[in-house]
Amino acid sequence: MFERFTKDARAVVQGAVEHAEGAGARSVDAEHLLLSLLDREAGRASFALAALGLGSAGRRESVRGALAGARRRAGLSRAETDALAGLGIDATEIVARVEEVHGVGAMSGGRAGGARRPGHRGLGRDAREILEKALRTAAARRDRHIGDEHLLLALTLRPGVPAEVLADHGITHGSLTRVLYGGGEAEAG
Amino acid sequence: MTEATDLAERAGDRDPRVGLRAVAALRRLLEQLESVQVRSARNQGWSWQEIAAELGVSRQAVHKKYGRH
Repeated sequence: MFERFTKDARAVVQGAVEHAEGAGARSVDAEHLLLSLLDREAGRASFALAALGLGSAGRRESVRGALAGARRRAGLSRAETDALAGLGIDATEIVARVEEVHGVGAMSGGRAGGARRPGHRGLGRDAREILEKALRTAAARRDRHIGDEHLLLALTLRPGVPAEVLADHGITHGSLTRVLYGGGEAEAG
Repeated sequence: MTEATDLAERAGDRDPRVGLRAVAALRRLLEQLESVQVRSARNQGWSWQEIAAELGVSRQAVHKKYGRH
């Protein structure tokens, strides 16, 4: 799959691995892909983010803060937290109680398994889905290469924390498509 | 929001998406809780057998999921 990735896209994936390692996460997740995209100062994704108001360090920091907030909710999106609240389950309360006993960040880890050695982190299921969606997005646009902009587009297509945080900052599949490919174009599903 | 409109909204909320999303979220929360508790038990010297017995699963299942890779 990676042979068709542009240099920028490879750099984003590599940056995501570093973010996962830095955070002590058990797998490289969609969230790490977004954090890595935010670090970039060149490339089409970076251009699109800047065009949509995420050019300033402050706005990017706001996205990082929102991602950190989701980690405090055990990685659940606000939509998921609301759905649980509908059942009478307060996810933030559960996280707070677990952290009281097991330490801050105890509930922000990956899905399963013990800590892996550095350099042996696999892509998590959601990150793999993002890469696959990027591949399909590029194919649908008849782009021969998979660029960092396809990764960003894919992040807005998959329901979850990164898409929700991006949407809160005005970055949706629609707004991205407009700045990347010009206005008036029909949105892909 | 008043109690009446709140109740009315809930009663009308038959959208399967909301219910399914809640189930998926609960499953993820459960996975995280399990991971925290299993690690904690291991750190306190519990055997896989003991952990499996409390969780009501086989020793193999819990070891495969949380044992070293």
